[in-house]
Amino acid sequence: MAEDKAAAILAALGGQGNIVEIEPCITRLRCEIEDGSKVDEAALKTAGAHGVMQQGTVVQVVVGPEADTIASDIEDLL
Amino acid sequence: MSIRVVSPVAGLAAPLGEVPDPVFSQAMVGPGVAVKPNGGSAAAVAPVDGTLSTLHPHAFVVSTGDGRAILVHLGIDTVKLEGAGFTLHAAKGDRVRAGQEIVTWNPTEVEEQGYSAVCPVVALEVGQDELSDMTEDAQVSGGDPLFTVDS
Repeated sequence: MAEDKAAAILAALGGQGNIVEIEPCITRLRCEIEDGSKVDEAALKTAGAHGVMQQGTVVQVVVGPEADTIASDIEDLL
Repeated sequence: MSIRVVSPVAGLAAPLGEVPDPVFSQAMVGPGVAVKPNGGSAAAVAPVDGTLSTLHPHAFVVSTGDGRAILVHLGIDTVKLEGAGFTLHAAKGDRVRAGQEIVTWNPTEVEEQGYSAVCPVVALEVGQDELSDMTEDAQVSGGDPLFTVDS
C-alpha cells in the first residue's frame, strides 16, 4: 500500500529517469528533477499529496508526516 | 479527553495563516498556531507529553499515546541551515514531557541569515474543527497553552 503510493508519486514526477534528488523534510518531499514539464500535479494529488509547489526543476510534494517513509520507499524504487 | 498543546518558544502567538510558507499557511499538513519567537538564544521545548517520533535540528514531532502528533518547526526553510546553530538535547524515540527542552537555537541568528524564524506548531492531519482554545495575537512564554486538540 505505502509502496504503491511511492510508485504513484514517482510516476507523477516523471519516473525514475527524471529524478535528480529526493529529500524528505518532515511533511514534504523536496524533489530536484531533470525536466519540470514532466511533473503531473493532478496525478501527485491523486497519489495522496496534500499540495504541490513547483518552481522550475524543484518540486515540493506535501505528503504529511509519512514523508520520511515515502522518500525511502521511492529511494528503493530508484 | 483532549490534549493541551503548549508553546515551544517564547514569543508572539499568531494565526498560522501568517506563516510565509503555503504548506503551513494553508494548513496542508494540519491546523495549528504560529509563534514569532523573541530574539536571542533559547531552548525550544516539547509541546506535549509523548514520544519524539521525528527529530531534526530545525524541526521535531512529538507523538502522543492516543495517536496525535504535534509538529514544531523552528523557522521557515531552516532545513537549509543543515543544523548549524541548533543544539539537540534529546534523541529520536525519547519519551518527553511537555516543557522539556529539545533544541537550543537562536532565532535572531536565523533571521540574520535571511530566514523567517516563525515557529509553526501544527496538529498533524487533524481537522480544523478538532482544535479549540487557540491563543493568537498574544505574548506567550515557552510552556504556555497554545491550543487544545480533541482526542
